[in-house]
Amino acid sequence: MIEMNLKRELRNSWIIMVKEFKQLFRKKVLVVPLFVFPIVMIVFFGYGMGGTVNHISMLIVNDDTGVLSNTLVQELGTFIPKNSDIKMFEITYTKDMTQSEAEAKINAGEYKAILLIPEDYSDSIVKNEKPTLILLIDQSDTTSSGIIVEVMKQILAKRQKDSILLTVPEIYGSLKYIDFLTPAVIALTVFFGTVMSTGYAVAGEREDGTIVRILMTPISRGAVIFGKTMHQLVLQLARAVILILAAILIFGVTMNGSWLLVALILVIFTFGAVGMGIAISAKSEDMTAFQQVSMLFTLPSMFATGVFFPLSSVPDWMRWIAYFIPLTYANDAMRIVMVKGQGLEAIMGDLIILSVFSVIIFAVAINLFRREA
Amino acid sequence: MAVDDISFDIYKGEIFGMIGPNGAGKSTTFAMMTTLIKPTGGSIKVAGLDIEKDAEKIRGIIGVVPQQHSLYPDLTARENLELMGNLYDVPKKVMEERIDYYLKLINLETHAERFTGGFSGGMKQRLSVISAVIHDPEIIFWDEPTTGLDPQTRQAIWKLAGKFNREGKTLIFTTHYMEEADKMCNRVAIMNTGKLVALDTPENLKKLSNSTNLEEVFIHLTGEEIRD
Repeated sequence: MIEMNLKRELRNSWIIMVKEFKQLFRKKVLVVPLFVFPIVMIVFFGYGMGGTVNHISMLIVNDDTGVLSNTLVQELGTFIPKNSDIKMFEITYTKDMTQSEAEAKINAGEYKAILLIPEDYSDSIVKNEKPTLILLIDQSDTTSSGIIVEVMKQILAKRQKDSILLTVPEIYGSLKYIDFLTPAVIALTVFFGTVMSTGYAVAGEREDGTIVRILMTPISRGAVIFGKTMHQLVLQLARAVILILAAILIFGVTMNGSWLLVALILVIFTFGAVGMGIAISAKSEDMTAFQQVSMLFTLPSMFATGVFFPLSSVPDWMRWIAYFIPLTYANDAMRIVMVKGQGLEAIMGDLIILSVFSVIIFAVAINLFRREA
Repeated sequence: MAVDDISFDIYKGEIFGMIGPNGAGKSTTFAMMTTLIKPTGGSIKVAGLDIEKDAEKIRGIIGVVPQQHSLYPDLTARENLELMGNLYDVPKKVMEERIDYYLKLINLETHAERFTGGFSGGMKQRLSVISAVIHDPEIIFWDEPTTGLDPQTRQAIWKLAGKFNREGKTLIFTTHYMEEADKMCNRVAIMNTGKLVALDTPENLKKLSNSTNLEEVFIHLTGEEIRD
């Protein structure tokens, strides 16, 4: 009996899912928000704020009394980043400048970076001591500064290992911005997309009365919700795969972790987002109301959860807001997997929080849907 | 309270009309009988089944034609019907035969593969009726079947209703058109402010109020005040 019921529920869910896909594929215009928009977002933010950076104005203050610094200087001058054919630095050379004078130049915006090579650079190397290079960078430009440090480390690493100390005063990151951006943009898109399309489906079907007709058949409300959820899961996972592939192909973003873990994060998160869409639409009078109310939830997610900037760089009050927004944990988990290539243990905390959120909001949604639709 | 302590029986095979001014409680009564909402008290049985305990069973043997056309505009006429047929678990072969038959009956067979979004009001209404009977229900609930339709479509709808009734189906509908209730219904229930104020055959109702038409009876029983 129970088995029969379950079979029928699954069958009904399947019918609803197939219907949703049929409708989706007929709305050609939906391709834009589904696939084009997130890619455009990565393109604009990626190129605008990160990706490969060219024409970085750099001042090299070379006080070295010897000649060993020449090769380093030359290497910097001719450095071409991968995925590019333009030299990264535009270098000006000078001598005899103190650190504070250099800092003033950075503050004035004359240079993005200033490398101070000490008098004893060649000497120290000859004596097998470790010379210290000081790299000043424009901290306000978090994107370029991250990349500059990364490149400096690369260049120094090619030389005698550990023989040169690079001091980078007050630097916070070493990631390429695009690597940082992409996982979160995917989580964000999945979240927005799911909340919006689930909500529209429910609010819209209530507005035109179709949901009532469906609910007049022997199908259970649970099966209706489950069918819609399955539809979203398949759709959002397909979307995520396409977006990640696009990011890899277009920007050379590295995917260091497991695709399965990415899928796991997104499945849990999508459940929550479906619940949120249903809950909001159950409480909205019509489509317009839904749109307004959902903005209330989605927009803070976009700006307060560190999609575009690391949470470590925001003030405490903002970080506290972020802690209450589920997208924060999805972003974190996505980055840990995609960028750092870590395994399940590393994202366990995030997953637990996301699961709790998803279960609660889904339960609320089913409850509201039962009573309202 | 939308509906307050009403009690009546509807007989198998009859055409039962519910009339009443706006806000009389027709729609609420309808929604309760079709298991869409639960009554706060009392009980309702449909075909001997309790609406709270056997809601899913009831939904399998009733057909509801909602007030809105309630068709998916981005599905074709046939797909809309197939969706309903599938949800009612009608065997595929039977379903396809019924769909072809009904589409011919309502003169939409040449529009079967068109999206319903482009249909006229009359076409949608005809299709909406068919969507509700694709599983061959015993009882058809019909909420304002002819509101806003042209005379031709109205006539077509009533012809369909007559056909279903002759097949032995019980028909329950609400309407604002008194002459339709008069002509079509075996019995009419008149509701006002959540209460049942009269229930009888149209003839008896007219005799009782000494009127020649149902509209006068209606105004007599529910007052002249305009409701919102």
